[in-house]
Amino acid sequence: MRLRSITIALVCMVAACSVRVERNPDVMVSTLNADPTILNPVLQTDANAYSVTAYIYESLLERDNTTLEEMPRLAERWEISDDGLTFTFHLRKDVKWQDGKPFTADDVIYTFNQIMNPKIDSARLRNYYKDVEKAEKIDDYTVRFTFKYPYFRALQMIGGMSIIPKHLYDTGADFNTNPLNRTPIGTGPYRFKEWVAGNRIILERNEDYWREKPRITGIVYKIIADSTVLFQLLKKGAIDTATIQPIQWVRQTESEHFNKLFRKYKYYPPNRYFIAWNHRRPYFSDKRVRKALTMLINREAMLDKLFFGQGVVVTSTVYRFGPNYDPNIKPLPYDPVAAVKLLDEAGWKDSDGDGVRDKDGVKFEFDYLMRAGSKQGKSIGLIMKQDLGRVGIDVNIRQLEGATMFKLLNERNYDSMSFGWVGPPEDDPYQVWHSTQMEKGSNVIGFQNKRIDEIVEQVRREFDPEKRKKLLYEFQEILHEEQPYTFLYTLADLVVLSQRFIDVKEYPLGLDMMEWGVKPGVKILEW
Amino acid sequence: MLSYVIKRMLLMIPTLIGITIITFVIIRLAPGDPIALKAQSSMDALGSDQAQVAIVEETRKLYGLDKPLYVQYAKWIGQIATLDFGTSYRDHRPVIDKIGDALPITLTLNIISILLIYIISVPIGALCALRPRTFFDRISALGLFVLYSLPSFWVAMMLIIYLAGGDYLNLFPIVGFESDNASVLPWYDWIGNVAWHLVLPVACLTYGGFAFLSRFSRASVLEVIRKDYIRTARAKGLSEWKVVVRHAMRNALIPLMTISSTLLPALLGGSVIIEQIFSIPGMGRLGFESVLTRDYPVIMAIAFISAFLTLLSILITDILYAVVDPRITFEDKG
Repeated sequence: MRLRSITIALVCMVAACSVRVERNPDVMVSTLNADPTILNPVLQTDANAYSVTAYIYESLLERDNTTLEEMPRLAERWEISDDGLTFTFHLRKDVKWQDGKPFTADDVIYTFNQIMNPKIDSARLRNYYKDVEKAEKIDDYTVRFTFKYPYFRALQMIGGMSIIPKHLYDTGADFNTNPLNRTPIGTGPYRFKEWVAGNRIILERNEDYWREKPRITGIVYKIIADSTVLFQLLKKGAIDTATIQPIQWVRQTESEHFNKLFRKYKYYPPNRYFIAWNHRRPYFSDKRVRKALTMLINREAMLDKLFFGQGVVVTSTVYRFGPNYDPNIKPLPYDPVAAVKLLDEAGWKDSDGDGVRDKDGVKFEFDYLMRAGSKQGKSIGLIMKQDLGRVGIDVNIRQLEGATMFKLLNERNYDSMSFGWVGPPEDDPYQVWHSTQMEKGSNVIGFQNKRIDEIVEQVRREFDPEKRKKLLYEFQEILHEEQPYTFLYTLADLVVLSQRFIDVKEYPLGLDMMEWGVKPGVKILEW
Repeated sequence: MLSYVIKRMLLMIPTLIGITIITFVIIRLAPGDPIALKAQSSMDALGSDQAQVAIVEETRKLYGLDKPLYVQYAKWIGQIATLDFGTSYRDHRPVIDKIGDALPITLTLNIISILLIYIISVPIGALCALRPRTFFDRISALGLFVLYSLPSFWVAMMLIIYLAGGDYLNLFPIVGFESDNASVLPWYDWIGNVAWHLVLPVACLTYGGFAFLSRFSRASVLEVIRKDYIRTARAKGLSEWKVVVRHAMRNALIPLMTISSTLLPALLGGSVIIEQIFSIPGMGRLGFESVLTRDYPVIMAIAFISAFLTLLSILITDILYAVVDPRITFEDKG
């Protein structure tokens, strides 16, 4: 009996070894944290979809890795009229769709028309293009876009539009439910091969690509939801690259074994995090109070405790490592003594001796909303509750589900909450800051400042980067003085990549897989 | 018997309608709406001036959410009558396809783990009942309750880190159902590959289920074992095996069957936590994600299917009662 169970165990072990599969070293295995919703650049709204379609579809222009300036891609050159309203693009004539059909001006116009078509589920994208007056085809390889107003991001927006094939989509089938949305065909360096829902997406190299082919012959995206599992998979060698957590970066990647297998890269994508104060509340309407709040919140300590120092404290919404950030403005220091003075000055004193400050009968007591399950949101809330509680400000932490939080934010029915956003390196401050955006727009805190309104209007129409920079410097000074939000930090992306890949260069916004090669003679067994 | 079944089947229709109306109203009353969520997946596009509001309105119309609630419900129930569950708001795929992808995976996992739970815990319970208040009884109860109280996400993490990670033992795969290139393996190796993938998730799904069921079967065996007919059986000189399995267990199984009426819906519902950790695209994740994104068609379809299965399994259990216990009958005696 004993012997038999040992034999069975042995057989199982042998079987287990034989059911392993070898994988191709020229193919990179990466991950996504969930299935993309759809693989169609006109319809997709999630980051996972963008990371896959970025290799399948292409846009007219691309951003240079180093200078972040616009460079030709599907368009070989372009002209801007003197009034800054019309943009004419001359398309390359040697580009083919992955099914062999030529790429022409019709595809560009078709893509634009689909974005603007109310029957099509592209609400998010349509927002960006609503100031385009018309898009015309001049000839088969020339298109012209005309804007209603001059806008400094116009070139980026048109240039960044991913072009979809007209000849495949325009067949009378419903656009939103077209099967092509799950089996895309583009002009890009990789073509779609397979999507096993909830499991993996496979891309293979486009052997007929119109410019130099990448050396990596395929990309596999595994769908991995959990960050601990992701890290274990990485250590097992089952995946080649991953963005990992700060604690893993600092504490769990120093072993010699790990560093023999992987290289680590750290860079700062354009993200920013902050705490929003609803200015409609009596306590948040006074800038002295907002300043005091910022000085009561120890942002450096938050970064250290929550993110092991993998980020930088910022002073505004302008991208920390972009061209327009003013490094001369220093974040307000953590200074509870000065903060208490400011609070007293503003008239928020504990007049009835119950331990909570008040003014004109209003207690300084507010709700802080956080998304249920958000570790970051909760930690910020707890730190705030403790630090503000010490000086007589009562914070109630309320956990809500995401959709509910959005609803309250939209109704402007909240006191404070923390969030972040990721945008382009040089974004347009209009939606977030202009006073016309208070009711329905993104100015969720209800911030009003005449000078800020003027500046953001001018920035929109200013094509000269130097003048824009000057305006935005002034903008940042005002924000620093007003402290409309308590600006927290920009967080680093912490990326681990297999040593197998060579010629890997670091750029401000990350790595560019298109340049990499693969060390020859590597053999990998996988599960 | 047949007429009874038909009557019960017909009664299911109004029950189902009631359930779906309540579900429909509840998910609509929940704050948040799919269009707003879609238009504002990030801060930069929180609806803004006139044009943007108009765009959101257009999308609402596209989904048919501009009509009054009862019209929407009527439309939905009309579709259901033809077994059309509509398309998902999230990715515009037919809901039935999405469920079709997730269901076989969840079924496989659940069938295996529920079978294991029954196979292991019913005999343990019976053994305890035969030796009540002995060392074995106490220690197995303690052990099973300890297992019961371990949170599954923690156990899953420990199993992954110690048995399947890169630092300690690396015996098992962690994600998915099979290796990516597993289709190149011959069928026997393929089964091995899949089985190897299932070990950890199944372990996590099973260990917590032993305590309840084994205690339950212990209680029902214990009740039966003192009955006169068992003493008679022993007096006849039957072997202990025959006494327990042939005489005691059969009667002890009747209360167990009541529990099994929850089996069918339980087979369908996935575990969100386990599926999330092991990256298994099953029903739990599908339902969870649909709720978060307010994907009404998918939520309604899942609710409808599980309601239907619950009603169906209650019916099946009732019928089975008559099969195991001849005293129960559905025929009119009058």
